[in-house]
Amino acid sequence: MNDKAVRRSPVLAGGLSLIPGLGQMYAGQRYRGGAILIATLLIAGVVVWYGRPGWSFAPIGIYLWNIWDAFSLARGRARSAFLPLLLGLVVAYGIGWQMIGIDLSAASGERAMAILRPMLRPDLFERRYELNRMWTPITVPCPTGDAPPAPPASRQDGEKRAFAMPDCAGVLETVIVSVSGMWPNAETEIWWETNIGDDKPLGGNENAPLIVETDETGSLTTTIRVPSTVLIAQPDPTLALTHRIYFDQRELTSGFQLSRNGRFVVQGMVESITMALMATFLSALLAIPISFLAARNLMSSSPITIVVYVIVRTILNITRSIEALIIAIVFVVITGLGPFAGLMALVVHSVAALAKLYSEVIEGIDPGPIEAIRATGARWTQIVRYGVIPQIVPPFTAFTIYRWDINVRMSTIVGFVGGGGIGFYLVQWIQINQMGAVGAAFLAIAVVVVTLDYFSAKLRERLV
Amino acid sequence: MLSVQNLTKVYPNGTQALKEVSFDVQDGEFLVVIGLSGSGKSTLLRCINRLIDPTSGKIFWDDLDITAASPSELRHIRRHIGMVFQQFNLVKRSSVMTNVLSGRLGYANPWLSLLGIWPAEEKQRAIHALERVGIADKAQSRADALSGGQQQRVGIARALMQEPKIILADEPVASLDPVLSHSILQYLEQLNKDGMTVICSLHFLDLVHRYATRVIALKDGIKVFEGLPKEIDRAKFKEIYGEDAQEVRATSLEAPA
Ligand SMILES: Nc1ncnc2c1ncn2[C@@H]1O[C@H](COP(=O)(O)OP(=O)(O)O)[C@@H](O)[C@H]1O
Ligand SMILES: [Mg+2]
Repeated sequence: MNDKAVRRSPVLAGGLSLIPGLGQMYAGQRYRGGAILIATLLIAGVVVWYGRPGWSFAPIGIYLWNIWDAFSLARGRARSAFLPLLLGLVVAYGIGWQMIGIDLSAASGERAMAILRPMLRPDLFERRYELNRMWTPITVPCPTGDAPPAPPASRQDGEKRAFAMPDCAGVLETVIVSVSGMWPNAETEIWWETNIGDDKPLGGNENAPLIVETDETGSLTTTIRVPSTVLIAQPDPTLALTHRIYFDQRELTSGFQLSRNGRFVVQGMVESITMALMATFLSALLAIPISFLAARNLMSSSPITIVVYVIVRTILNITRSIEALIIAIVFVVITGLGPFAGLMALVVHSVAALAKLYSEVIEGIDPGPIEAIRATGARWTQIVRYGVIPQIVPPFTAFTIYRWDINVRMSTIVGFVGGGGIGFYLVQWIQINQMGAVGAAFLAIAVVVVTLDYFSAKLRERLV
Repeated sequence: MLSVQNLTKVYPNGTQALKEVSFDVQDGEFLVVIGLSGSGKSTLLRCINRLIDPTSGKIFWDDLDITAASPSELRHIRRHIGMVFQQFNLVKRSSVMTNVLSGRLGYANPWLSLLGIWPAEEKQRAIHALERVGIADKAQSRADALSGGQQQRVGIARALMQEPKIILADEPVASLDPVLSHSILQYLEQLNKDGMTVICSLHFLDLVHRYATRVIALKDGIKVFEGLPKEIDRAKFKEIYGEDAQEVRATSLEAPA
């Protein structure tokens, strides 16, 4: 093509460029002209499409540059394309920015700190303590009509005695509670447990613990308000049911123990690791036979086996390209919430990944030793045992360990969509803003993943 | 005596690798097969233990028709024919010991061998085979931890486990430094003197002159020469290898430049 600048009338070139690019074409640069035409239309189109007239400075700028460029070109000198490129990028980024709704103020320091600070104090361990607990029943709401009156809201346990007055109350009504026989001069947390076992704090605005100190005789009396949410899960809020008010005293002893959330973290982690282990084991079992069907060297002997090979490979490739998370969502719908859905998702994804890796191992088998062992007069079972297995078992094992590694990581994620494991707890803690527990979960995940990573790398090193 | 009669091999893709090749090998000979690469040397050696099934022709070992042997007869025949390969063909991840023991599979109890259990006497035999090639100290090493020359010696030890009457060696020194070639061929020469028939393909003419008791030459699958090593002069050499061929000596590379 003739891309060389040819001397033409600069004025005519500039005039022709009122239609972008035409002047450049006239000056002999067809591609340049074509590119300018397309770019100008594209950028003008973007501005119009998204309805942002404020951005029209960009296409106008490019348009003016185009006339100048055609004019210069006709005089034998091309202009640098820096300006139109810059304008094009500005439009692309600017409009893109507004479309996505990037809002730097949303990531403000203050908000970030409010979330991050509790995460830095992971709720994993707590000081070991001795618990001195007492509780009393109380009926909510008061029985109506012919129903028998509420039983007395009091209880005796050895030295300890607790009661509430009156014996029954409605939501948000005030109740006097009293306990005696506890440790003297000790902080006592008072909290509510609903008939179905939900914990409700009684301090602040129903969002902080209520703590009262006992006197020197080990007694305290105070008033509480029945929390607004105690009947929330009740099918019939007029039905009188027995709730409990707890009085807890804690005395720190030496040492540490897992906190309540810490126990959930451990449980979730164990669930995740087990899920990953089972998924890896199951998928290895399934992937081994499939991998033979996906190995080119074994399947290239006849047209039928080639068709099988292509089909198996295609299915594996498609399956592998679907994120385990998405498969997990599908299984959560099929099997319901819980580790089983996560397990199945990991299995499906891992079978595809492992079968591909295994089949590559099989394809890479050295036929030499097999031939050599055949030449010794060995039976085919012996050939497999001495010529094939030593070649495939170590890399199979290495890939399987590697897969377990990946599955542990993935199993922490599938919980996010209800697939069980630590992710399941994690997403709930995020929703109820328990950032200390979130921090603990992060810590546990990091420790487990890094540890496994290290040992699996060591182990694999030995195998290859 | 091994008698090859009108041996022909056509590969499924139509390549004619051997055409009506006939020759006899007396017990105790060191027969060398020469020829350009692609001339059919490997195919010929593999037809003898039927790693490759010939298209037509017969191979008799004394009165035994190797080409007509049933699978189980074939295993018995193969037990007595050791084979050594250009690429050594060891199982790289397995130990030297396991590689050598695998040479005994044709004799071993099938079930125990599948479990990897070997009687003490077989292990002793393996150590002895390794001693014969001078690397008994490497028994527990992984095969791929050994140098090329050592790996080929393991290959020979594996063949020795078969207590073979014939050893087929397919370019046993082609992957080795010339310096090592003599060392390997001397082991084969020793086995030959101990009474084993050796059929060996080689590239370097000086090695042929040094070790062969008799030579056959292949060209495009056809036997073009059969005779004593000393009969191969320059003219014969050009005939076998073509006009452009230059004689290269394995040992010439040893000489300082
Ligand atoms: N498995 C095979 N399939 C098709 N052709 C083959 C096969 N093996 C060898 N050949 C061909 O047969 C001919 C002889 O090969 P080969 O016996 O390996 O010769 P050499 O060992 O002398 O180099 C060559 O043309 C080679 O390409
Ligand atoms: Mg060859």
